Amino acid sequence: MKNHSFLTPGILALGLLLTGCAGESTSDTSNEGGEDSTQISFIHWRGEDKAVLDDIIAQFEEENPDISVEMTIYPSEQYQSTGQRLLQDGSTGDVFTSFPGAQFEAIASAGLFEDLSGEDFVSNFDEELITVGQKDDAQLALPYQLVFNMPVYNKGMFEELGLEVPKSWTEFQEMADTLLENDITPIAFPGADIGPNQFMNSMMMNNAPDEDIFEKLQNGEETLTNEWWVKTLEDFQLLEQNGYIQDDALGTSQDSAMAMVANEEAAMLATGSYHMSALLGLNPDLQLDLMAPITVEESEAVYEGINTATFMLAVNSQSEKKEQAKEFIAFLSQPEIASQYANETGQHLTVNDVEYESEVLQNTAYWIDERTTRFQPRFLITNAQIEAAVLGSIENVLGGADPMTAAEEAQQLVDENRE
Amino acid sequence: MKISKSIYLFFLPGLLLYTLFFVYPTVSALFYSFTDWDGLSQSFQFVGIDNYERAFTGDTIFRKSIGNNLKFMLVVVVFQTLVALAFALIVLKNNKTTIFLRALYFFPTILSSVSVAFIWSFIYDPSLGILNQLLELVGLGFLAQNWLGNADIAIYSLAVTQVWFHAGQMLIIFVAGLQAIPDELYEVAKIEGANKWQTFRTVTWPLLAPSATIVIAYTTIQSFKAFDLVFAMTGGGPNNSTEIVATYIFDIAFRSYQFGYASAISVIFMIIIAIITFLQFKALRSDRISY
Repeated sequence: MKNHSFLTPGILALGLLLTGCAGESTSDTSNEGGEDSTQISFIHWRGEDKAVLDDIIAQFEEENPDISVEMTIYPSEQYQSTGQRLLQDGSTGDVFTSFPGAQFEAIASAGLFEDLSGEDFVSNFDEELITVGQKDDAQLALPYQLVFNMPVYNKGMFEELGLEVPKSWTEFQEMADTLLENDITPIAFPGADIGPNQFMNSMMMNNAPDEDIFEKLQNGEETLTNEWWVKTLEDFQLLEQNGYIQDDALGTSQDSAMAMVANEEAAMLATGSYHMSALLGLNPDLQLDLMAPITVEESEAVYEGINTATFMLAVNSQSEKKEQAKEFIAFLSQPEIASQYANETGQHLTVNDVEYESEVLQNTAYWIDERTTRFQPRFLITNAQIEAAVLGSIENVLGGADPMTAAEEAQQLVDENRE
Repeated sequence: MKISKSIYLFFLPGLLLYTLFFVYPTVSALFYSFTDWDGLSQSFQFVGIDNYERAFTGDTIFRKSIGNNLKFMLVVVVFQTLVALAFALIVLKNNKTTIFLRALYFFPTILSSVSVAFIWSFIYDPSLGILNQLLELVGLGFLAQNWLGNADIAIYSLAVTQVWFHAGQMLIIFVAGLQAIPDELYEVAKIEGANKWQTFRTVTWPLLAPSATIVIAYTTIQSFKAFDLVFAMTGGGPNNSTEIVATYIFDIAFRSYQFGYASAISVIFMIIIAIITFLQFKALRSDRISY
């Protein structure tokens, strides 16, 4: 093993450059007046949360006059490419965030997560929803947001047409046929961007109820040419061939797909709960709820939906201000602060005792406790190249390929990239 | 004349910048290409030539991305050069109209890649996009396509955007080259009875070769490095059909955390660009003449 501390000057130079790149989205809320205050750096990717986080940071600084917070927001891709690289020398990202899955695994392998096990504020979170931030019995990160990565549907439209939420694949197809008869596209699928990686979760959740399926795929015990994935691809093919998703779906962006649902040209948006607020912004008259396609018969269905605990808060193990960083996470996990964040961003949270005020959050909160959801399978693929192969096979089928051929091609890529 | 040694100090700032921003990253990439560094950890192991072996023998997507890059490069080099040259010939003379047109053609170049990607993603949108609607309007609806969603044509759709984006820049180089050709040569060609095509072939093109060399070489390098446009418009999809080497390197380095392997691909990529550029220079140099 080699140590490459000689890289520090290069990384610092890169860091200076990249910090410059993120300058426009930097929010410095530091208390410049307090000479004795310790400034901590908080980095993340959610530009849309800037206003509410600025306000929360101001409250934190008022309550903790000896600590100031400099928040830097990177666009999502830039966060992956540059933001987390700055964690290495400990000068940036005393508090940082991570996605579950490949990103979490990589940061954990690099030893950049401070172990938060045993901290008092951990008990502020729902213990069942924070397991995704655990590794080797240590609580390395605390997921803050809880999203449901399953289609959003127009409940009002369903009621008007006398449709009920389908409980089986047969019922789903009958429902889709009724919508088509009424000149409504059943599913708006944003295939040009996030469609495949979101919709694959609910499409496969009951075809492969084994939650270790992707772990087995990665270690060679399973293949994509087996029934569970070929059936999933066949189901996608059926959606495309029967017109249950719009024409040219692979060229449709999420904005276009959202417009279809907002204009009531389509009944479902194949993304997730995080788009409900935006849909209501486009058409406040919509009545929305969540619904995942059940791709098996009712008696075989194990899951009703998909959840993802994400935006995982963490403390940088290289930081020299760990205690102050933990204070900030503790503050974010207070129910009243979390409630403010939830209601102003339109997100469910993993924090206990959050009070949801918005109608859409209240109406869908039953998915947290009353429905059987499973953690987003895609995030259980810890090898990004294998994830790309899996998603590529969906795009391949929607582009006209035979499901088995697409599965075989994807399996070849899996074999090439298996570690 | 004796040159003071202190003059060498003037080289220092440039040399320092060149070393910091070119030599150091290049040598670093070469160094890491022999390691399994993940880009985050403090340590790594040397893996010899494993990364290179993987790139050449065990990576389907890398080979596909080179193929996509060559398709993209060929379309862009041919069409960008021809479009820029054609427009340069149109706006060659200096008058108010041509100066305005030069500015108009140059305009896309000053836009940011993300803006261009946004504009063209909208143009190409299969349902809301202007292109398909325009085709429908003029009775050519049968030509309407899923421009970025069809794996067979998406890379060419991106190439068209790239040509639109950068042709204006190349036009300026051609205009400068054309204006440097002495009028006397055209007068001689006229006296000799050469027609327009003969004049272009025997006078304009040979004397334009230095500009064409710059345009073609620069366009080649630019199209190989067209990361931002591709990344913003398709992200390499659908199903890797628009994955080019630059986007693939990003994926490997920053999504898969295989910095060592990404460095190896970068080194191979650098060598491929160097070879193609060298061959182009050599081919185009043979076209040059001097009077």
